Amino acid sequence: MDKSVQSTWDQAQKNANADYMAKRRIVIDPITRLEGHGKIDIFLNKTGDVDRAYFQVPELRGFEVFSLGRPAEDMPQITSRICGVCPTAHHMAATKALDDLYKVEPTSAAKKVRELVYNAFMLEDHALHVYILGGPDFIVGPDAPPELRNVVGVIQKVGVDVGKQVISMRRRIRELIAYVGGKVIHPVLGLPGGVAKGIAKEDLAGLQELAKDCVEFAKFTLQIFHDIVLKNEEYVKLITSEYYTHRTYYMGLMDENNKVNFYDGKIRVVDPDGKPLSEFRAQEYLDHVQEHVESWSYVKFCYLKEVGWKGFVDGADSGIYAVAPLARLNASEGMATPLAQKAYEEFFEVLGGKPVHHTLANHWARVVEMLYAAERMQELLNDPEITSKDLRNIPTEKPSVGMGVVEAPRGTLFHHFETDDNGILTKVNLIVATQNNAARMALSVEAAAKGLIKKGEVNEGLLNKVEMAFRAYDPCHACASHSLPGKMPLIAYIRNAEGEILQELRR
Amino acid sequence: MSEARILVLALGNDIRGDDAVGLLAARRLAKQLPASEVDVVESDGSGFDMIEVLEGRDYALLLDCVVTGDNEPGTILEYRREHFAQVVAGSPHYAGLPEVFRLAEQLSIPFPGEVLVLGMEVADPFRFEESLTEAVAAALPGYVDRAAEIVKDWALLRTQ
Repeated sequence: MDKSVQSTWDQAQKNANADYMAKRRIVIDPITRLEGHGKIDIFLNKTGDVDRAYFQVPELRGFEVFSLGRPAEDMPQITSRICGVCPTAHHMAATKALDDLYKVEPTSAAKKVRELVYNAFMLEDHALHVYILGGPDFIVGPDAPPELRNVVGVIQKVGVDVGKQVISMRRRIRELIAYVGGKVIHPVLGLPGGVAKGIAKEDLAGLQELAKDCVEFAKFTLQIFHDIVLKNEEYVKLITSEYYTHRTYYMGLMDENNKVNFYDGKIRVVDPDGKPLSEFRAQEYLDHVQEHVESWSYVKFCYLKEVGWKGFVDGADSGIYAVAPLARLNASEGMATPLAQKAYEEFFEVLGGKPVHHTLANHWARVVEMLYAAERMQELLNDPEITSKDLRNIPTEKPSVGMGVVEAPRGTLFHHFETDDNGILTKVNLIVATQNNAARMALSVEAAAKGLIKKGEVNEGLLNKVEMAFRAYDPCHACASHSLPGKMPLIAYIRNAEGEILQELRR
Repeated sequence: MSEARILVLALGNDIRGDDAVGLLAARRLAKQLPASEVDVVESDGSGFDMIEVLEGRDYALLLDCVVTGDNEPGTILEYRREHFAQVVAGSPHYAGLPEVFRLAEQLSIPFPGEVLVLGMEVADPFRFEESLTEAVAAALPGYVDRAAEIVKDWALLRTQ
């Protein structure tokens, strides 16, 4: 085509597209083998600017119905099948809900065994996220070319030896989980009132050795974070970028000294200035957490009941809150172990005091938590009671209602069961971390959309920005996580206000 | 567990309808194949859980359901390793075979030289149910036969 004709043609195309794109909706969809996967809706106004944006998370639709009529004791095994990424979190939350259902207090040794396994799981999951999966945004660097923004780039950056160490540590930690839990993927450890298996005295020395190595590994990870990430000005700038900064409430599970605890404690919520708002037990979650339903979606967004739903806005008047590593650090008054405490202090010092509102600081917070998990494993394995055979109190009460909570890697996880007198389930409600974070995720998406869509022009960086937010929260997708090859897990549909698809962006 | 050089790795979730098809096939296969020759392993873990299972094997046959939308449910599809060349995942929830292969390659983890994914197109791997849809259930015997055939061919190759 002649150049002048081409340019006229291009201009006409552009004008036609501009008309076409006015008042439209963009949807970004991760493509995996999942149902109701996270979906992003961006509504534009007549001038093509962003009106509103939403992030939808999948519900475990059908799961409740599937569970009804089954014995409650099956729940630690059934719920661990919900997610291939963090089965141990569901297993433990369900086990604790069973303790509550049968009103039975586990023995002291059983609690320690559970907490040991749980911290091993947290360490393993966090390590995987930091090195292999969250890495593209900060270890490789936010501006790296797409072909390096993945595990390949991470290994190039940290070196093959470190990569090998990560895989080897992970394997050893998983062996510990399998040793106590029976299996890694579907642990069969938790029983109401205790655990199925303890730790043999003759195996203790090997496990203590592992815990020592875990602490070294976590220290080394913090060092890597310093060397590669904190020395990278671009990344530090990115952490503090407006797209991912939201002044919300924060929630996390704390011990009696308000120190972070993954396995047990009270739930503590602080306001956007870091002042305590409330403290409550798992059994009181319904008095504090409510779900807001949007007319355009089946998805519910959690918010704090005492503050109220004020729409998708941040600030002290809005009941939106966050969970996950950053939220736990914000909601706490410190870490219960020495190295983690030191790392915690540095974290807040560098990022300008508590609370930190930058979503991408989740990656750093995760490293602080790795130190805690490793140190806590070491503490528990040095506890004389850890090899006790007093591992179970047998339930004697009639079941009716039980609630349990743990901190999953991605945030607070609630399990709520109700049964008849025979322990047959009549009601099941789960609130997973992603549901707790859903409203705040929507804020990130909206901020990114508003910054990168102007007058109907969609900046190609939009998908990157949204994906980065995704990665920091790492939303759960009720999953079977084998993505089909060669497809980026994001699509943007561009729709008009009536919901008709006008354009599709794929990566 | 024995570490047979031939691995059958079934991926899926047995409480999510058609997603269980690989697991169900594996359970039937395990009865047919000599345990000394073949390890049959089930997993519903995320992508990176596969590293430990695949390490040190010569041959790996993966059984899994597939949703392409381009085939009738019950269609059996074969994918070779080259189909899994791209690395796209940025989160544990999106990690899959491509990432696992690349990671193993980078870290010199000994991985099977021969990898085949035997997929079955399914109708609905998302319901919370312990049953297969009709077309998938009907295709299951043929799926098992094809898997057994592949494994027997590999076993022959090894003895030659």
